[in-house]
Amino acid sequence: MTPSESVASAAPTGFPNGTLALDPALADELWRACAAASWGLTRNEFDQILIEAGTAQNFGLDEAATPVGATRKRQAEFFRGFCVDDLVLARACARGNERAWERFVAIYRQPLTRAAIAITGSETVGRDLAEQLYAELYGLNEREGQRRCPLLSYRGRGSLMGWLRTTLAQRHVDHYRRTRREEPIEEYDAPALDPPPQTPARELSLLKRAIEQAIANRNAEERYLLAAYYLDEQTLLEIGRVLGVHEATVSRRLRRAAGEIRKQILKALERSGMSRRAAEEAMGADPRDVELNLKKLLQQSQSEAFQEQAAT
Amino acid sequence: MSATSQHGFHPGVESLSAFAEQALEERERAEVLEHLAVCGRCRRVVALAREAADGDAVKVSAPPQKTIAPDAWWRQWRLAWVPAAIVAAFAAASVSTHVWLANRNERDFKIVAQNPTQGAAPASTQPATEQAEVVPPAAAAPAPQVRTAKQLHSGAADQPAAQEPHLMTAEAPSEPAAMDRLEIGRQTQPLSYAEAKQAPSGSLAGAAGSVYSQPAAAAREDKQKQAEELSQEQFDATHLRRFTLKSAPAAAHGAIQPAPQAVTQTVTVAAAPVNLETAPLPATPAISAGLPSQLHSSIPINPMHLPSGLAVVSSTTAGSIVLAIDKAGALFLSRDHGNTWERVDTQWTGRAVAVTEQFAVNGLFETAPATQNGAAAGASTNPKPAAPPPVTFELFNDKNQAWVSTDGRIWNSK
Repeated sequence: MTPSESVASAAPTGFPNGTLALDPALADELWRACAAASWGLTRNEFDQILIEAGTAQNFGLDEAATPVGATRKRQAEFFRGFCVDDLVLARACARGNERAWERFVAIYRQPLTRAAIAITGSETVGRDLAEQLYAELYGLNEREGQRRCPLLSYRGRGSLMGWLRTTLAQRHVDHYRRTRREEPIEEYDAPALDPPPQTPARELSLLKRAIEQAIANRNAEERYLLAAYYLDEQTLLEIGRVLGVHEATVSRRLRRAAGEIRKQILKALERSGMSRRAAEEAMGADPRDVELNLKKLLQQSQSEAFQEQAAT
Repeated sequence: MSATSQHGFHPGVESLSAFAEQALEERERAEVLEHLAVCGRCRRVVALAREAADGDAVKVSAPPQKTIAPDAWWRQWRLAWVPAAIVAAFAAASVSTHVWLANRNERDFKIVAQNPTQGAAPASTQPATEQAEVVPPAAAAPAPQVRTAKQLHSGAADQPAAQEPHLMTAEAPSEPAAMDRLEIGRQTQPLSYAEAKQAPSGSLAGAAGSVYSQPAAAAREDKQKQAEELSQEQFDATHLRRFTLKSAPAAAHGAIQPAPQAVTQTVTVAAAPVNLETAPLPATPAISAGLPSQLHSSIPINPMHLPSGLAVVSSTTAGSIVLAIDKAGALFLSRDHGNTWERVDTQWTGRAVAVTEQFAVNGLFETAPATQNGAAAGASTNPKPAAPPPVTFELFNDKNQAWVSTDGRIWNSK
């Protein structure tokens, strides 16, 4: 099956073909802006791609509303927040447009390979990863008897190149996590017996409960900062680039989060009957004496939104 | 969204990508951030994607190579004059130094040229009217080799003794050559015209041919004065006295055949000490006249560089023995024509100011007595040259007191 054979599967199921019409002026404006005619896309194909994308996301309206009810203004707001040209190219490739593939290869083939090499840190592994994704994008994989093009999942939020990079990174991480579990344990050194804790057990128990409470009370961004910095050992610069802020801002927020957590722990210890001095001494306890898995603690703070989505 | 085993549900690739590109709405961004706070896998995915994007952005946005503006100041041709000027200045300094050294060497050369020797290559002294015949044009090879005084100096060691007389051309007189001519002219000054006329045609003692003209000499008068000032002390103490002694033998040799106007006219003189160095000691009129040959060696004295490093104020030569007094009054003895020196212990009072040589016989230029070696009786009729008379050196201090020595090493009050 050629990429063009996947066109039928590109259309969302139940798409009310002909029931939704784009505003002609908006369609003309978007048509001129993305210059899709230069690489062989017809105006009819272009309009169909826009209607499919808008319908799939209900033009940003509530799920209860129907796409047909999207006004021209709503359509314009919806599409102007998207990378329409990337979206049209991706959908045209998923439809099997040969000229779209030529353009895709001309624009993204080399950057895709470079990104894969950068992600894997190896030219050989990176090229393999890029070739594998490229073959998959071309529609060589089958699902339920039909070839699926991953480009159909691109909806125009963010750039197509960012989507490709994230896809590469996701596949690399999944591959790494999967193969790491399969690695044999070559050597196992029995850990030395820990000396008995110097801090009384009751104080350690209070300390553990105070830490759990303090971390749970932090907001998502602070917990992300703590996890990325202390667990993933990312640099301030890397974290700042992900969040779109300066690394100094990341440092300041991290320091503030750590200070707040310390204050909350001290208050929690004092509320449990310890004096201020005793609470501070308990803060100086050996962390190895505290039976607390910070990673597990952070992972237990599951996002409600994604929990709901997972339940659905 | 894609389902995973760890957290049940992960944000989709597009959500993570849009999150990394700050393209999500606030509500969806908060949801993704909430997930990232607890999901190490998605944090890793986002971090890797962001890292790859940054690396690609660096490559794509790498600034093009800076092109140097054609009118950049360091590219301008004018700056080429800076190194050129430095090179020119260095060259000028080198030439000046070389000329100065050449002048200094000329003074040393003058000392040698003054010493009449018998080994000089026969160089004719031509009248001014014959100069055109003697001095060929520059292109008239292979006739007498034309060399400058500088060349004579530098190539002295490798010149064969029997070479053609070297002539100095007036067409391209170098400065050292001019100095040489002036010095020689000055040395010949004490000779009277009559004496010079009586002298047979032959070689000027210790000199090869040289041609110069009066206008040139007049133009170089300043140079001469300067040279005189520099060597005045040495010259006066060393040569004036000697010249007085040797002018007679020079006349006897008939070595000078000056032009009718003597030194004021163009004179061809011999001025090639280099030839004298390696020349054998032929029989000369001086010997036939009974003058001891060892008194005036054909081997020139090397430029006197005394161990003290001071200038020579007085010197005398007898054969290979050279005695010299420096400005400090120290006496130095050389037995190899001035190549090596040893200091003579002070055996006199006061400060030594002059040293001369004397013959032990009746007169300075008389022949040695026949009885000197017991075999020379009737020397006047014996064609064999008389044995050289013993030499007595005489040393004067600053109080005009004299000491004598026969070997230059042991001195006795006179």
